[in-house]
Amino acid sequence: MAITGRLPLLLLAGLVPVVLVARGSTPWLWLLVVLALSGLDWLAAPAPRTLEIARRSPGATRLGTPATTTLLVTNAGRRPVRALVRDAWQPTAGASGNRHRVRLAVGAQIACATPLLPRRRGDLRAVGVTVRTRGPLGLVCRQQTRDVPGTVRSLPPFESRKHLPSRLARLRELDGRAAVRVRGEGTEFDSLREYVQGDDVRSIDWRASARSRSVVVRTWQPERDRRVVLVLDTSRTSAGRVATSGMQDDVDGVPRLDSAMDAALLLGALAARAGDRVDLVAGDRRIRSQVRLHAARDIAARMQDAMSTLEPVIAEADWSALAGAVQALGRRRALVVLLTPLEPTAVEESLLPVLPALTRYHRVVLASVRDPELERLAGVRDTIDDVYAAAAAEQALARRRHTADMLAALGVDVVDADAESLPPALADHYLTLKARGLL
Amino acid sequence: MSATTTATARSAAAPSPRGRRGRRFGTLLIVAGLVSAVVVALAVGGDAPRTGFLDPDNPDPAGAQAVARVLSDDGIEVQVVRSAAALRAASSDGDATVLVTSPEHLGRSTARHLLAEAAPGTLVIAQPDLLALDALDLDLDTSYAPELGGSPVEADCDLPQVVGLRLEVDRPTGYSGRSEQSCFGADPSLLVVRDGITVLGASELLSNDQIVRADNAAIALRILGQRDRLVWYVPSIEDLQGDDAATLGSLLPPWLGPGVVLVLIALVALVLWRARRLGPLATENLPVVVRAAETTHSQGRLYRRAGDREHAAAALRRATRRRLTTRLRLGRETTHGTFVLAVAAATGRAERDVAALLAHDSTPETDADLVSLADALHTLEKEVHP
Repeated sequence: MAITGRLPLLLLAGLVPVVLVARGSTPWLWLLVVLALSGLDWLAAPAPRTLEIARRSPGATRLGTPATTTLLVTNAGRRPVRALVRDAWQPTAGASGNRHRVRLAVGAQIACATPLLPRRRGDLRAVGVTVRTRGPLGLVCRQQTRDVPGTVRSLPPFESRKHLPSRLARLRELDGRAAVRVRGEGTEFDSLREYVQGDDVRSIDWRASARSRSVVVRTWQPERDRRVVLVLDTSRTSAGRVATSGMQDDVDGVPRLDSAMDAALLLGALAARAGDRVDLVAGDRRIRSQVRLHAARDIAARMQDAMSTLEPVIAEADWSALAGAVQALGRRRALVVLLTPLEPTAVEESLLPVLPALTRYHRVVLASVRDPELERLAGVRDTIDDVYAAAAAEQALARRRHTADMLAALGVDVVDADAESLPPALADHYLTLKARGLL
Repeated sequence: MSATTTATARSAAAPSPRGRRGRRFGTLLIVAGLVSAVVVALAVGGDAPRTGFLDPDNPDPAGAQAVARVLSDDGIEVQVVRSAAALRAASSDGDATVLVTSPEHLGRSTARHLLAEAAPGTLVIAQPDLLALDALDLDLDTSYAPELGGSPVEADCDLPQVVGLRLEVDRPTGYSGRSEQSCFGADPSLLVVRDGITVLGASELLSNDQIVRADNAAIALRILGQRDRLVWYVPSIEDLQGDDAATLGSLLPPWLGPGVVLVLIALVALVLWRARRLGPLATENLPVVVRAAETTHSQGRLYRRAGDREHAAAALRRATRRRLTTRLRLGRETTHGTFVLAVAAATGRAERDVAALLAHDSTPETDADLVSLADALHTLEKEVHP
């Protein structure tokens, strides 16, 4: 039950009889008349349940990219229907323009499209569909809310994909297809071909040249079919938001986890193109996600899907469980990339004890999102508050450095960069390792 | 600073205790004088001559003290009443002439009382306006009659009190309408008798300065001196009460009340229309926004509250030393002395100053010292170029 704007207007129209018959009872009599009309209108209004509503699911979209969900509304009743349909979604789904006015003849069907613009990662759900049917006089409406389930999966945006072409070009330089050939430890024999001017004379295969009429050189390609295991830390330290370069004052920056996902996506896409096999492990106190992406074609899309529902939880990371998950993926030597913030206490208490077991079998890289706010704080020294904050920041930086040194001493490579520069920095580190054959 | 200023100002304003007491005494004297002046004025004011138009106690040209005195000298008991209550007390016997001057303050209730109590032919109203006429239920029209003023007017009627007399006033008011007697001018006339009420349009004839013109005095004495007693009623504004004035309700249209009720009902409907939601609110649990640097900020505030300058200075010096060690490409095991020498060489500063700045054991005494130390370390770092 709901009333329309016509009801107060009709009540106001009662001023005419009130002026004509200026008695104290006139307004109440008029109210009775209006109530009687409204009651008749309510009885004559078609029931909302006579509308059948189905949903076309919007599927998945990247965070910040528009999507559309469609409601198919069918009039299954015996009377034409004028109704207002609201398709409610949780607020971060960004369902704008979700109210639809429909006029349906008997048996007719209409599609109501609601644009969505997700502002948050994860599965965003529809809350319910509300139908409000009007009576023939348009005085009152009948209203009903029903559940028409729908979900839009909002994927990590993968903004660092812009760095992918340049990194792929560098990968091709390592590959035998490029004109420049690098011969080194980390490459394996690819093929023999004729010498052309400009080739390194050291790469001439004299034995093969002796058997042939022309001079033959060997070409090399980087090693392939290595394993890369990406470990995403979704514990409490990943929830902290860090400033980005384009950040305004009123925005709170991005969570470290989102930046780490960006880095993982770039590295995963690059490694898959380089012919390596990528696995993904995510977790905190327990394992949240464990995906083998070995032969996947569009590995970035599958990673996005696996990561979309991950959220930081208020718990410490259980690194022994995470290390166990890494070991369970295979005993073969792998590049294990730990995407976790370089927080001294968290790292020293939980990660350090299990690191030797990992470094014994694998090459371990720790990729951490650095907060530029710390450097900024350390540099501002105008007031006494600033100076104390600078001292605290300097101390935090010193402890971070100490932890990084300790990790390096254990044979772990530490990549510590700002939210935006971490993905390319991690990709570059991977390429360096690949070029040097350290995988 | 501000406390000092206030103290100075106070001492300038109060040069000595004795002067202060003298001033206070003077103020008391002034207040006492004012109070006594007001009391005296109130006491004397009670007996002061009245100043109202045609007031029986007013000796001014506009007053009517002369008529009142002459009447009482002639043996007529003149009783002046100035309130409705006093009027009720005075005219209870009905055997007295009742004169009403300044009737613009004649209320409806008092008028009803006058009509009921006064004997026919004994009520005289001096120059009533339309409202007073309405209150007395007299169907007469009033108008200014300048053609009847300034020169003597013949009586022109057979009213026994005025027959053969002439009247002369400056600003007469004429009355017209159906009446039993109308003298001094025909339609409008200056004296009208209607329903036993004498309406005196030329009330100025009672005033001290015009009573001696023509036969004014004779007219006044004959009209007012018919009985042994004259009740002279001067209505005051306090006599107007209750339904004497026009109420707000009588001025408003009758449909206003029901109309307001209807508009209120419509407003309730408007609220119901706007308040009804199209389905429940869409809610969502959002993650808490935590800045990564939050702990560092609060740690800084903790240092600030504890005032731990020693710790803060040590942290800042360690950071400077580490950065400079890297920039000057010194080893980790460099001694403090060597480090100070290297920094002094790189900046061109005196070795002693650099040593004092980077000393481990000296703690800043105040917060200001700590700020300047932080600044100095910052400047030193900027000066070092390998």
